[in-house]
Amino acid sequence: MLALKERNDQAFSFFYDHYAGALYSIIKQIVPDNPELANDVLQEVFINIWRKIDSYDQSKGRLFTWMLNIARNASIDLLRSKSYQNSQKNQELPDNVYRGAANQAILQNVDSIGLKKMLEKLRPEHRVLVELAYFKGFTHEEIAEMVAIPLGTVKTRIRNALLQLREYLK
Amino acid sequence: MNLQEYIESGIIESYVMGLATESERAEFERLCILHPELIAARKKFEEKLEGYASENAVTPPPEVKAKVLDAVRTITLEAPQNPAGDPGRPAGLPKLVAAASIVLFIAMAFLYYQTRQENRDLTGVNDRLKETLDTTRNILKTIVGEQKEVVGNPNVTVVNMVGTQAAPRSSANVYWDSARSAVYLVVKNMPELPSDQQYQLWALIDNKPTDLGVFDATGNKVILKMKNTRKAQAFAITIEKKGGSSSPTLQKMQSIGRMMHTQ
Repeated sequence: MLALKERNDQAFSFFYDHYAGALYSIIKQIVPDNPELANDVLQEVFINIWRKIDSYDQSKGRLFTWMLNIARNASIDLLRSKSYQNSQKNQELPDNVYRGAANQAILQNVDSIGLKKMLEKLRPEHRVLVELAYFKGFTHEEIAEMVAIPLGTVKTRIRNALLQLREYLK
Repeated sequence: MNLQEYIESGIIESYVMGLATESERAEFERLCILHPELIAARKKFEEKLEGYASENAVTPPPEVKAKVLDAVRTITLEAPQNPAGDPGRPAGLPKLVAAASIVLFIAMAFLYYQTRQENRDLTGVNDRLKETLDTTRNILKTIVGEQKEVVGNPNVTVVNMVGTQAAPRSSANVYWDSARSAVYLVVKNMPELPSDQQYQLWALIDNKPTDLGVFDATGNKVILKMKNTRKAQAFAITIEKKGGSSSPTLQKMQSIGRMMHTQ
């Protein structure tokens, strides 16, 4: 950790070996259909970790948590990017993005890995919310609109789903 | 607020997984300061999540690592210690500072080396001077000691040796300590001899010469300790072969001195 903050090359290499697999896994869960882009995201994530390591605050969480969120955010940013949207155009109707994503979230469970695989254990109405919030990066408000249920219910269901996931993690 | 209820509300999981809103995050962080058990619960979930993520790791293609390390090296060279988001320092400055510190280091090293060399030289000179001083001090101490013993001693009789016809300018003093029978000789003026010859001091006891030892005209000792004699009416110096003779060569008598008070 100290070596990382001092930007030691060799330490960074070890560090990469230790965390790349776990971070690559989350990226693949969010960007499952484009290995090239997933590789780009992983590269960007490690460069960002290297650049921003000074801003990591130990009091707010473990280093892995910090990195996992960087990887998740970078992956979601990619999903939102114009170039990615364009490449996916043929798969979705542009005037119905929300419903399209929601439908996709329900259907998409082939070859799932990691946390996503664990989602399969949840009830479908919970699963879709976690999928939209965690793997698609929608806000609770957006999800409430997408799936046409009250915001409070969205929040409660997501919280309950996360608590259930916590139990499965044991 | 019931802390246990709060912990079981799913806030920890949404905070850790990045699903909490800005106000929820702020509240959670504030409560963490007040309640260490919240931090413990958070860490527990983080560890679980990390463990699960590690178990479900997917090995990325090796070329990504090469790219990452390349990029990281470039960043390090471009702007060392300048993380994104920080107010940018001129990238050239650290390099300049680095170059300056190397130059400074070399200069310091050279100065250090030079100073140490000079110091070593001076220490050597100092040591030699100290040795000389010690030697000189010892010589002086010996001389002072001898002077006290010989000149200042009330039992000592001084016999002034005057030159004979063979050597009119030769002169020396014999100091005879009658209490201890000790004989000292102070050469005042004796011509230098060929290297195969030496001067010899004799005591004349009842007109018979007794050998008191040989000496050279040159020498760094001021007072020469000769052989002891309990009696002597007179002293004589002759020139003899190196090492001395058993009886004096009287035609080579250089100087003679009689006791003022015969015993």
